[in-house]
Amino acid sequence: MRPVYVIGIGITSFTRLEYPLSEIAAYPAMMAMKDAGWKEIDHLYVANMGSGRVNHQTGLASAVVDTLSLTPAGAEVIENGPASGASAIKTGLMAVASGLHDVVMVTGAERMREVNNLEATEFIATLTHPLAEYIYGVTLPSLAAMFTRLYMEKYGVTERHLAMVAVKNQNNALLNEFAHLQQEISIEGILDSPEAMTNNPYVAEPLRFFDCCPVSDGGACVILASEEVARKVERPLVRLAGVGQATDTHAVHEREEPTDLLAVRRAAAKSFGMAGLTPSDVDVAELHDAFTILEIVESEEVGFFPKGEGEGHLALERGETAVGGKLPINPSGGLKGRGHPVGATGVAQAHEIVHQLRGEAGERQVNDAKVGFTCNFGGFGNNVVCLTFVREN
Amino acid sequence: MSREIYAYKCRKCGHLHYPYRMVCRNCGENEHNEFDQVPLPKRGKLLTWTRAYSLPADFEVPSLGLGIVELENGIRITGQLRVDDPKIGMDVRGEVEIVRREGYDERYGMIFYEA
Repeated sequence: MRPVYVIGIGITSFTRLEYPLSEIAAYPAMMAMKDAGWKEIDHLYVANMGSGRVNHQTGLASAVVDTLSLTPAGAEVIENGPASGASAIKTGLMAVASGLHDVVMVTGAERMREVNNLEATEFIATLTHPLAEYIYGVTLPSLAAMFTRLYMEKYGVTERHLAMVAVKNQNNALLNEFAHLQQEISIEGILDSPEAMTNNPYVAEPLRFFDCCPVSDGGACVILASEEVARKVERPLVRLAGVGQATDTHAVHEREEPTDLLAVRRAAAKSFGMAGLTPSDVDVAELHDAFTILEIVESEEVGFFPKGEGEGHLALERGETAVGGKLPINPSGGLKGRGHPVGATGVAQAHEIVHQLRGEAGERQVNDAKVGFTCNFGGFGNNVVCLTFVREN
Repeated sequence: MSREIYAYKCRKCGHLHYPYRMVCRNCGENEHNEFDQVPLPKRGKLLTWTRAYSLPADFEVPSLGLGIVELENGIRITGQLRVDDPKIGMDVRGEVEIVRREGYDERYGMIFYEA
């Protein structure tokens, strides 16, 4: 396989956007072409989950490729639920690594605020097993809540640890101009004060409002290219060194050990294996914190902290995952702070890592970051894609 | 009309599945319709639970109890939970009842009560 590099990146604000979905996909693509100083695109992958259902638009890739006047380049949508973004990047890597294409654009976009919050929750709930979960009114927050309760019981994670993730990530987002949530929060305000139950009510016990990511519109793009093209482009060389993907049972109740996220563990191991690196090599990571518990558990399953003792929440307590800590996690704000336009999220995670590895992340820059890692979590952990990036020059 | 929820027993290796899948997860050997339907036991222990407040529009209630139950034969099932003070490990019993109305459609599933 040929090595594959990221030559250009772009992103929209993650918020409520008033322009059409195809433009949410195209705008970051234009930014990425400008960033790379390169406009010859062989193929376009669009990562999106809900255009047909939420926006009444199908064939989104054909719309986007034309909006960008990139026809007759090939284009298609990659849908893998909330892991669509990293799945599309993985597909792009395959296209360049195989030699089929030299330059592939991967743009992720979602416009979820076209519907209200309840309809958005219902849309995401269609990911669950139709007969064994969905009919009962199971949603992603309720699956995460049942998982959280078990994790608390087994490993001593408390609501305070969850609140610490929320505060860390939402306050990281204050340093990211593209992030959805631009409101400083504190443990006092969301957990300890007399008003906390009003500020931060339960969504699905024991998960509260501030444990859940917001519903956002947004788009992000990366352009992948061969080494030959990457050397012509005058940008820092960031290589997409590893991809790994793994699946697990559709119904969550079928998993042998209900506090394991095996697909995360396996996808991460494959990604590190392909890159020839280990979790201890990572300088900065973006993990899929759609719910605060997930950052803690993923930090263990990908191998940053031992799972046996539930070390993830202890590392959080020690501040190791803060910007300036030993291993900063979600300096962008994560899904919690940046927002979670489902199809765009995996691409936005890659965008942040490339930004960090180039040393262009401004006030939230992680010092001397050379190796970055992303975990994009689809379903409730039934389809996970992990990416490993390396700064080369 | 009595209704039943079934587990699916592989005719080759005897492995029980819930929900249905077309190839056995244990032996990987069988094909479509090579499973026997086995009624799920109704009693079990509550493995984990939640009370959810942000619900799909079909549910016109302020909140909904949900749980995962480990049944007497070891099979786990997700269902609705109607227990005032749920505790992990408590004994529960299930009834097959209407769990969701989608327009004129009634969907049946398992609702768990304190045993």
